[in-house]
Order: sequence, then structure tokens, then C-alpha cells
Amino acid sequence: MSDEISVAKVMDLKGLACPMPVVKVSKGIKEVQVGEVIQAVTSDPGALSDFPAWARTSGNEIIKTETEGKETTFYIKRLA
Amino acid sequence: MELQSYRAEDLFEWVTGERQDFTLLDVRNNEEFGRFKVEGPHLSKMINIPYMEFIEKEDESVARVQVAKEESIRIVCAKEGSAKYVGEILVKNGWQDVRYLTEGIKSWGNMLAPKLVASGSGYELYQYIRPGKASCSYGLIYEDQMAVFDPSRNTRFYQNFANEHGARIIKTFETHLQADYISGSRQIFFDSGARIVAHKNDFKDATFEYKSLKDQEVFKFSKGGPEIQAIHTPGHTPGSTCYLIDDRYLVAGDTVFILSIGRPDLGGMAEDWSKLLFHTLKTKIAGLDDDLLIMPGHYIEWSEANPQQLFVDTLGSIRNKNADIYGIAEEGEFVRFIKDNMRKQPDEYAQIRKVNAGLLEVDDEDQEIMDLGKNECAASMHGK
Repeated sequence: MSDEISVAKVMDLKGLACPMPVVKVSKGIKEVQVGEVIQAVTSDPGALSDFPAWARTSGNEIIKTETEGKETTFYIKRLA
Repeated sequence: MELQSYRAEDLFEWVTGERQDFTLLDVRNNEEFGRFKVEGPHLSKMINIPYMEFIEKEDESVARVQVAKEESIRIVCAKEGSAKYVGEILVKNGWQDVRYLTEGIKSWGNMLAPKLVASGSGYELYQYIRPGKASCSYGLIYEDQMAVFDPSRNTRFYQNFANEHGARIIKTFETHLQADYISGSRQIFFDSGARIVAHKNDFKDATFEYKSLKDQEVFKFSKGGPEIQAIHTPGHTPGSTCYLIDDRYLVAGDTVFILSIGRPDLGGMAEDWSKLLFHTLKTKIAGLDDDLLIMPGHYIEWSEANPQQLFVDTLGSIRNKNADIYGIAEEGEFVRFIKDNMRKQPDEYAQIRKVNAGLLEVDDEDQEIMDLGKNECAASMHGK
């Protein structure tokens, strides 16, 4: 449940096409403290596999993914 | 030099035509790259460095591009934006000839390259190679009419091709209910009223109107010209049909490939359909002439192309190349051969079949995703 996750920052990335969702989330995660979580909402189908790939590269963790219709919401914990 | 773009058609020329010295840099994530990548007989250098690595670790990623600054780099990504993004970084770092693919890998996936197979007998016969799918569709033009065989969903291409040749599409022929790509026949029917010809064994549940063909039925153009004879060749699917053009060319669908044959296990009835296919090979196909030019629905590798980079071969040559398959004399042995070579089919095949029968409507974006990627239709994976 999303209300069980304490979110430090919400990013609306809907309507953006690659590489912008990853560019923005890469910046956004650095604006929260290590251990905090950001919530990023995307509408780009590419995000489904690109966000996990980005998380591996950047050393952060996607703790939850919710897909509803064309929108996918990622909860990403800053680890690095 | 500034960053420039290129199109899928350019890429096709570079990877199939005169040898071009360039490095193809694919910046999609490793998973996407592993699933589907650009192929071509003259593609010698390809590297995969995902764009997210350029975002996170720019200097390190740039250092991984081990290409001299004066050499050419062609970048591929999913849609366009990421290739452009990485291209700017490379130009900033001193590479002089960098281009990104307009509209991304999907434009490569949908691209059709027309190749003339035959002309001179009053008609023109074309093979349309779809390198992203490793599949082939065909066009036969006589006077102002055109018949298309197994069109893919890039229907604008076929309509434009017909227009450029002063013809209109009058019929589309399906060799079977496709599982690996979305057929364009229905769209062509909506756009121009061209009737769909197909076998009822595959299309009986279809929600759209089609002409149900009979074995050996002959189709003609209004003003004569080459005859098209349907030959029911069940096996790959129960409704699989080959089309014999002018007694010289065979649109073979997924029944006869240059290497291997079409796998009869995709419908979940490997045993029954293998027996159907064995019977087809021993009767209908065995009865065809060695000189017949086979025009397959797929290829596995570019090595199958002839020196003109067309995927055609005579039936005699194909029988020789695949003597291990055509030499099987016994049904039980054939079924074993099929089962030994069976492998998983992509998850989306079940859905694609439904779309092609009109039983599932999906929007354009989802069709695009479903339709992207190389086929898995051959019974054996030669050289793998």
C-alpha cells in the first residue's frame, strides 16, 4: 500500500519521453537524504525496464512499482 | 561536426549494402538489447552502453566507447531521445561523425526493404524484407493491380508502394494466422477494400470478413496475367497455405524456409500438427518441382540470403541444405525431431494471434510493443 511508504519527494514525470524521466529522477534522488524514498509517476512505457536498469546503475533501490493503465509509479529509496 | 540523424532505411543500406565502416552504439538497457538488436550481414561492430550509464557516470561511459574520434558512430535507442542525448555527449567529447536513429529502434522494427524478385513476364514480383522481424512479405503487380502476401502492420508502406507503381491493392493473401507479428491485412481492407484471402482452419473464429480459400483454388487479376494458386499445406498451423505464382514462384509462408521448416508446436498441439506437417512435406511439397523458387515467410540468419541479399532459393537447393529434415522417412521420427527442437515461444504470441483474428482490440502503442522483436518460427535453430 502506498500510504505505508513514507515519501520524501513526489515527482510527476508523466508526458515525458526518454531520456527525460531518467535524467530527472537521477537529479531528484540526490535531493533527498540517503534512506528516504521518492515517488515518481511516469507514463513512458520505456520506464518499466529503464527505471530498474537505472536503479542498478545508480545503486538505488526500487522498493515498489505500481502500474495503473498507462501510468507507472515507482517508489525509489536512495541508497547511494 | 554537429550531431546528425539517420533513418532506418539508411541503416538498412549500411548493414546490407557496400561495406561501411562504422560502430553501432545501442544505448537501450541491457535487457532490451538482449531481447532484440539490429542485425545485418555487414554489421561488424556493435556495442551496448545504456543511456542511463551516460546519465549516472558520464566520463566512465564515454571512456567505454572505444572508437577513434575520427571514426563513425551510429546510435540506436528505443525512441530517439536517448540516442540524441548520448550523441550530444559524444560530439562534446570530440567525436566527429555521430548520428542518432530517427524514431528509434521501432522504426527499424517496422521498416520494409523492397527487393525485386522477378520482372519481365509482364508482372513484377517483390520481396519486402523486414529486417527487424527477420520476416518477408511479398507483392505481385500486374497492370494496375497489386496482390500482397502476408502484409505486416506498416500498411502505409504497401499503399505507397502500390501508388508509386500506378497500382492499387486488390487482395491480400494470408499464408496462415500469424503468431509472431500483427498482420496488416485488416487495415488494408479498411483503407482500400482489398479482400482478405485465407484458410478457414486458421480463421474460422475471425471476427472480420474474409474469402475462405479452397485447396488448389486459382486467383486471377482482372486483366489476366500471372495466376495465383492456393496450396493448402497444413502443419505450421492447420490452415497454412502456400501460394504458387505463375507456376514458378512459391510464397511459402512458414511451411518451407531456406534453412529449417516452420515449427508445428506453436499451437500447443505439437504431436498432431507435426503429423500434419509430415504429411504435407511428403505429399504436397514432395510433389513440387526442384526449380521452383521458394519465397519464405521468415529467415533465421542473414547467411541465408543470396548474393543479391534476397531471401529466395530453389526448392532443389533447399532440399539439399535441409537433407536432415527432408530425409526423415518415418512419421514417428519426424515427431521426435520436432519435439527435440522445441523451445519456448514468446509470451506475446497468444495475444498476437487474437489480434490477427480480430478477437482482441489493442491501441496502436500496445500493438507497436507486441509487434517488436525477431520471430521464433523455425523448427530448428541452425548454427545456434
